[in-house]
Amino acid sequence: MTARSFSLKSPTPMPGWGLSFGIMLTMLSVVVLIPMAVLLWRGFVGFGPTGMWEVVNRPRVWNALELSFRAAFVASLFNLVFGVLLAWVLVRYRFPGKRLIDAAVDLPFALPTAVAGIALTAIYAPNGVLGSVILETFGARVAYTELGIWIALIFVGLPFVVRTVQPVIEEIDRETEEASATLGATRLRTLTHVVLPMLTPAALTGFALALARSVGEYGSVIFIAGNLPNVTEIAPLLIVIRLEEFDYNGAVAIAIAMLAISFTLLLAINLIQIWSRRRMGAV
Amino acid sequence: MTETLTLSNPRAFRPATTEPVLVKWTLITLVLAILAVLLFAPLIAVFEEALRRGWAFAIASLSERDAQSAIRLTLLVAAITVPLNAVFGIAAAWAVTKFDWRGKAWVITLIDLPFSISPVVAGLLFVLMFGSNSALGVWLVANGYPIVFAVPGIVLATLFITFPFVARELIPVMLEQGRAEEEAALTLGASGWRVFFTVTLPNIRWALLYGVLLCNARAMGEFGAVAVVSGKIRGQTTTMPLMIEMFYNEYLSVAAFTMAAVLALLAFVTLALKSALEWRYADQLAATHRH
Amino acid sequence: MNIDIEDISKDFGKTVALHPVSLALPSGTLVALLGPSGSGKTTLLRILGGLEFPNAGRVLFDGSDATNLSVQERRAGFVFQSYALFRHMTVFDNIAYGLRARPRKTRPQAAEIARRVTKLLDLIKLPDIGARYPSQLSGGQRQRVALARALAIEPRMLLLDEPFGALDAKVRKELRQGLRDIHDTTGLTTVFVTHDQEEAMELADLVVVMSMGRIEQIGRPEEIRTRPKTDFVREFLSA
Repeated sequence: MTARSFSLKSPTPMPGWGLSFGIMLTMLSVVVLIPMAVLLWRGFVGFGPTGMWEVVNRPRVWNALELSFRAAFVASLFNLVFGVLLAWVLVRYRFPGKRLIDAAVDLPFALPTAVAGIALTAIYAPNGVLGSVILETFGARVAYTELGIWIALIFVGLPFVVRTVQPVIEEIDRETEEASATLGATRLRTLTHVVLPMLTPAALTGFALALARSVGEYGSVIFIAGNLPNVTEIAPLLIVIRLEEFDYNGAVAIAIAMLAISFTLLLAINLIQIWSRRRMGAV
Repeated sequence: MTETLTLSNPRAFRPATTEPVLVKWTLITLVLAILAVLLFAPLIAVFEEALRRGWAFAIASLSERDAQSAIRLTLLVAAITVPLNAVFGIAAAWAVTKFDWRGKAWVITLIDLPFSISPVVAGLLFVLMFGSNSALGVWLVANGYPIVFAVPGIVLATLFITFPFVARELIPVMLEQGRAEEEAALTLGASGWRVFFTVTLPNIRWALLYGVLLCNARAMGEFGAVAVVSGKIRGQTTTMPLMIEMFYNEYLSVAAFTMAAVLALLAFVTLALKSALEWRYADQLAATHRH
Repeated sequence: MNIDIEDISKDFGKTVALHPVSLALPSGTLVALLGPSGSGKTTLLRILGGLEFPNAGRVLFDGSDATNLSVQERRAGFVFQSYALFRHMTVFDNIAYGLRARPRKTRPQAAEIARRVTKLLDLIKLPDIGARYPSQLSGGQRQRVALARALAIEPRMLLLDEPFGALDAKVRKELRQGLRDIHDTTGLTTVFVTHDQEEAMELADLVVVMSMGRIEQIGRPEEIRTRPKTDFVREFLSA
């Protein structure tokens, strides 16, 4: 027993290693790893990089990917600003109904996307409650245009920034703000030069999470988008269309292109977290 | 409180860490207005559209045969997926928090992976594995075990989409609680299962319930992934969210919105229970540490 | 019970926690493992309790090899630094835990369990707190409950990890005497870990001074005080 051998885990009397690790690895493999491997194999080995590039490098696919990414970016940018504002209001101000509002922020997490999709379409359609008003006053159509996609993605990504920034605001030491004030800074200057920098890492993490979610969003978008090829056709919808045409290679190529985007985002999230930990940890 | 102070200075005293009252109320109004337009208006629209032709009509649309079978299927899928996910979450959290091993960080990243993958791609994964274009899929269909365009495919896709929910909630909680209580139980002679059921489970029960709650909401509401694998066979592989789409595309507006209203009510119940848990057991949840 | 430690060594990956150490603890002694943090004293205690496995070496209980005994089989009463009381159980249920965990054949009747718990509550001089939860207790009370819980299993030895670490000076003094009394009443071989030399000297029959995973000196308190064997011991005692 004194022999030194390679082992995955350091020895411990804690029971249940085999069972818990076994269940974890089996389910992870069956549900996530093997299916992902099959997708990548189908793409890179079965279809080949050149074949995939030919599928992606067509105007309709390119437009769809660009639209998905652009709309997700615009919506997440809105959520970045609005999320920080909402988090500030929820933590620092007291007003009637605050707890209800706080709970409602998670609604997009709890409400099925299809429900959100048809509901948003109903009110933002040209004959809908808000859609008709916007059409009359601004002359702009919301539903069945890219604007509609933005609205749907703003809805879907709303909670992310709020929920990452809220705890940071709660933990701000008020003395830092007071110190800024005693040094002669106006309240606005304190907020922009002292408070906002403290919130930046968390806000960016929330932004990236919202972005990752909205790039791949499908359910809430397809009802409001109009789904016109090259104009309001998002990348996930194009995958569905390819599948309905039994063009599996086409679907795989677009899916892998989307995964590449998602992983770039995931990497960005990790880098932001490392960077923020390093910066904030030193304070 | 400070506003009520009477000071000799006519300019009311304002603490250095607050904004002027006017700014404060402008911000509150702005935030509430945006939320009204984005969150509350759609919600009201769901119920308004559902009840457009009255309660009787709405309820009648739910008692239609296809609608009934969609509700049954959604409940069935949730009843299979959620327990499997809970078992996975507990096992993963136990392996991650009670032991030190190589590659742990990688496995945690892999568990989180489904959160950053489009639901449509999730569905595609299982079509590729078990669909008519794969040898395995053909063999399974020939032997009477169809996966895609059948209930097992819907379960797998839902399992993928909801995969991280329970594990993600349990891991931070169990990390924070440490291993000392389990070790104490072991020194007192308790067996592994006894330690789990009498020490660990009571300590994580609210976090587990929290994770299960969110997992269930997502499982019942998933659209994209299920749409890809289900084949949308009426009365057989159509879940509630898919039924909404079908009714909607057939211009059966009341039926679509009534089904949507049922799912919206489920979302309300989820949020209410979630808030109640956060309020009552804040110290025992990971999520409230993030809030 | 006699405890013999023969050439026990332990590392955690690249960090060496214990170089081979050997130690003989005669039955019924009250032993202090004394040293600064990182000296390996807690690791040694956890190895005795079966909570860590040594990379090499043997542990003997009354001359028979106990190295491969599971933590449950060792029956070591272990008091954790944080006490590790079960937060969702009452004090009564905490103390009764080990008895209820026994296999049916050796498990006492409920009435017998209640009798023993009551006796232990008397022993720690807290007869009325059985219905309370750990969060409703003071630090000193928690420590004594943890001690009672460890004693409930009729342990073969008592192992305590920084038992007074989390307490303020006044409570510390009281509980030291409490531990001494319990040791004298039960006659158990007792090992406690501490970084406080005054505590070790005042309380223990035998002091083991450790540093950097090695044993610097073993001896009775006055022996160590009057004849420190190494520079480290001399410096540590004068600090």
